[in-house]
Amino acid sequence: MLLFSYLLMSGITTGALYALVALGIVIVNKATGVINFAQGEFFMFSGYVGWMLHVQYGLNYPLSFVLATLIGFVLGMLTDRIAFRPIAKNDIVSLVLATVGIGFILKGLARVIWGGRSDYLSFPPITSPDPIMVGPLMVVPQQLAVIAGTAVIMLVFAAFFRLTRAGKMMQATADNARAALLVGIRTDQIYTLAFGTGAAIASAAAILTAPVTLIYPDIGFAFFLKGFAAAVLGGLSSLPGAVLGGLIVGIAESLAGGYIHSSVMELSPFLVIMVVLVVRPTGLLASRRARTV
Amino acid sequence: MSAPLLSVRDLHVSFGGVHVLQGIDLDVGSLEIRGLIGPNGAGKTTLLNAICGMYRPRQGSITFDGTSVVGRKASDIASLGLGRTFQTSQLFKGMTVLENLMTGLHRQTTTDFLSAAFGLRRASEEEVRSEEEARRALHFVGMSEFADRPATALSFGQQRVVEIARTLIGDPKLVLLDEPAVGLSINRLAELDTLLRRIRDQKGVTLILIEHVIRLVMDVCDRVTVLSSGRAIADGAPEVVRSAPAVIEAYLGKELRARNSAS
Amino acid sequence: MPFGRRNVFLALLAFGAIVPAFANGYQLFVCNLVAIYIILAIGLNLLVGYAGQLAFANAAMFGIGAYVIGLLQVHLGWPFWAAFPIGSLVAAAVGTLLALPALRMSGLYLALSTLAFAQATQWVFLHWETVTFGAGGFKTPQLSFAPLPIGKPAGLYYLSLILVVLLYLFARRLVRSRIGRAFVAVRDSEVAAESLGIDLLRYKALAFGLSGFYAGIAGGLYSALLNFVAPEGYDLFQMIIQKSTIVVGGMGSIAGSVVGASLIILILELLREVKGFQEIAFGALLVGFVLFMRGGLIVVVRRYLSGWEEPLRLTPKAEAPGLPRPDPQPSVAEK
Repeated sequence: MLLFSYLLMSGITTGALYALVALGIVIVNKATGVINFAQGEFFMFSGYVGWMLHVQYGLNYPLSFVLATLIGFVLGMLTDRIAFRPIAKNDIVSLVLATVGIGFILKGLARVIWGGRSDYLSFPPITSPDPIMVGPLMVVPQQLAVIAGTAVIMLVFAAFFRLTRAGKMMQATADNARAALLVGIRTDQIYTLAFGTGAAIASAAAILTAPVTLIYPDIGFAFFLKGFAAAVLGGLSSLPGAVLGGLIVGIAESLAGGYIHSSVMELSPFLVIMVVLVVRPTGLLASRRARTV
Repeated sequence: MSAPLLSVRDLHVSFGGVHVLQGIDLDVGSLEIRGLIGPNGAGKTTLLNAICGMYRPRQGSITFDGTSVVGRKASDIASLGLGRTFQTSQLFKGMTVLENLMTGLHRQTTTDFLSAAFGLRRASEEEVRSEEEARRALHFVGMSEFADRPATALSFGQQRVVEIARTLIGDPKLVLLDEPAVGLSINRLAELDTLLRRIRDQKGVTLILIEHVIRLVMDVCDRVTVLSSGRAIADGAPEVVRSAPAVIEAYLGKELRARNSAS
Repeated sequence: MPFGRRNVFLALLAFGAIVPAFANGYQLFVCNLVAIYIILAIGLNLLVGYAGQLAFANAAMFGIGAYVIGLLQVHLGWPFWAAFPIGSLVAAAVGTLLALPALRMSGLYLALSTLAFAQATQWVFLHWETVTFGAGGFKTPQLSFAPLPIGKPAGLYYLSLILVVLLYLFARRLVRSRIGRAFVAVRDSEVAAESLGIDLLRYKALAFGLSGFYAGIAGGLYSALLNFVAPEGYDLFQMIIQKSTIVVGGMGSIAGSVVGASLIILILELLREVKGFQEIAFGALLVGFVLFMRGGLIVVVRRYLSGWEEPLRLTPKAEAPGLPRPDPQPSVAEK
């Protein structure tokens, strides 16, 4: 039972992070129809920025968090301007490759700027690393911090979508871009906003993760792949689906790693994806849209 | 009277709980030009989609040329001699007009990938024959000058005509046309009318067309079937159907009918 | 055959034939690598550029080819000349199986499931150690061209060159044929293709199988070139390189695959010196090409080399989902 609770908590923690990455992917996809393959690199880059702010320049954690997230937002906006807007009508492979290109640039930059020291950066933990017992469950406070932080971020963004005008415009555009144009919504601004928001979420996730993981330039892609898997699992156009997908991937990975073999950890998300896509290709929570001609 | 070319019985089609077609019966005889009309959302396109195999019906039967086609693959049904055009332009945009037509000959030709890859003579001979036939088919619809243009260079109306030619080149027995008159000017309408008749008379093809342009339906169709809310509410000669109360009601609503009968 | 293209390629071929005479070991290696990537690019272009299947599993096929060919030699003692065709066919067969998911999904979902498959393959390479020797990889027996009086580097190079020419010609004839048209039909409008009697499964399977076959052949050549097979040569970075070769060269153009593969490999080798900046440069290259050279380099070549006349089947500008589709033009002034 103890092992199970440990694995479960660990799975929920990583799952929460995958959920955030997935959310970013889904937000961009819902608004623009594109998968931003640089999402993982936004995550990684902002993690480094956060490290730089918090560890190098000594800013306190909350401030570093906010700043890094803002920088992530800007990165997202730049990506939209450079790699999406000019080629929005191209075929999907080109669009994907353009975001991949941005990802490479960010990864290279990170290596050049921060890679000089040891490649793996560590972030000081923000809570005590000793596990505590909550009833029959064993939890590490850091995990709780991550989960709580993730929940807060999700609530903030949910509020953004439901309550602010910009958020509602984004939903409208995602639903029916032409109608949105007709009612005067500046869809190009919405796309910029979508990219920025997606990147900001990834950045927030990175700062949350930083205390529990090592940061290294290649971490971006690993998280992207899992996040993408989670997003597809949930249904690429469903925000709650992304959260659900992330949790499932995280928990499945953790349980498989603990009970079967650590090597299976890498594989399980993909097995999950392949099974889901065969059984329910549109994902768990997506609404089905009939093909109209 | 010979057996109908197409026979639909008690057809039910649903999507995720929405019962789009609720028991359609339809008989279309050989060499008929049948119109299919009805208000938006009546299920006309759904009916065509079910006939050509894109949708699987929940219930009912569809018999084409004596063969049951329910549950068969769309490409198999097409191979039985059923052609189809679509509401939106479905020309192959990466090809020229001529190549689009040559693609229409797909089921008439036999070159397999090995023959093609090795450049065998029978492959290149078949290719030459296909090109000739494609040019003839273009000529039939009066679009010969566009043969080598990219498909995307054509106007919308021109694309629709080429699509019709592409469907015809495969020698189908029955062609389903989904709103062929969309976006056509008055002149073009007359040309379409003539073309449809020529297709029936000179090529021996039976036609079913969904249309909203009532003038065309009245002029060219032998019989008209009216769909409303998933049911066939009228079926007969164009003038008769046009003034049937049920049809007027379907289009304009009960109130107007009451007003009409009151005045 | 039109003047411009044939002569360009004959010239290239003549040049290619004499390379071993003056190139040093490293240069010959790079040229051989270019040939291998050309084969990969052509196969991938058939699947992605012509048939429109957004698949990310080509690197995995590349790896399967290399592993099967290598393992048949190492575990079962087969000679290279027997293992080579068999391994390529195995890769083709596995590729064909991927057509099944391609029937149920398209676009990004297909991309993801093929990505997942590729990762799973990578995992098998890494963890099925009894068979695949795990992360460390394994050495393949040195290739010998006896009784021909030719050493391995030059011999392998000529083998690659011959295969490039053959596979190029196959692909070119294929795309100009009824099969090529069927591919483009499947790409541009599945519903219309079906309505013309084109069996989607059959043609998707053919496209996947062909690209698998090409990748398998490339894998065999690659394993012989390196005398070594290990998982990291067939991972996602590899896949991205391959995709870049067809985007840079021009999707929907077989000649473009030649151009794109050559350029990318040359650039990657050049950048090997400045490792730190290799990624930035590669990323900038990708973005730059996508932004400024729509249709790939082959468009530029066409413009400046008269008589090129390859039927160009550019993947047309799609309306990106989420963006407003232009209304169909009602023809007011029809010609």
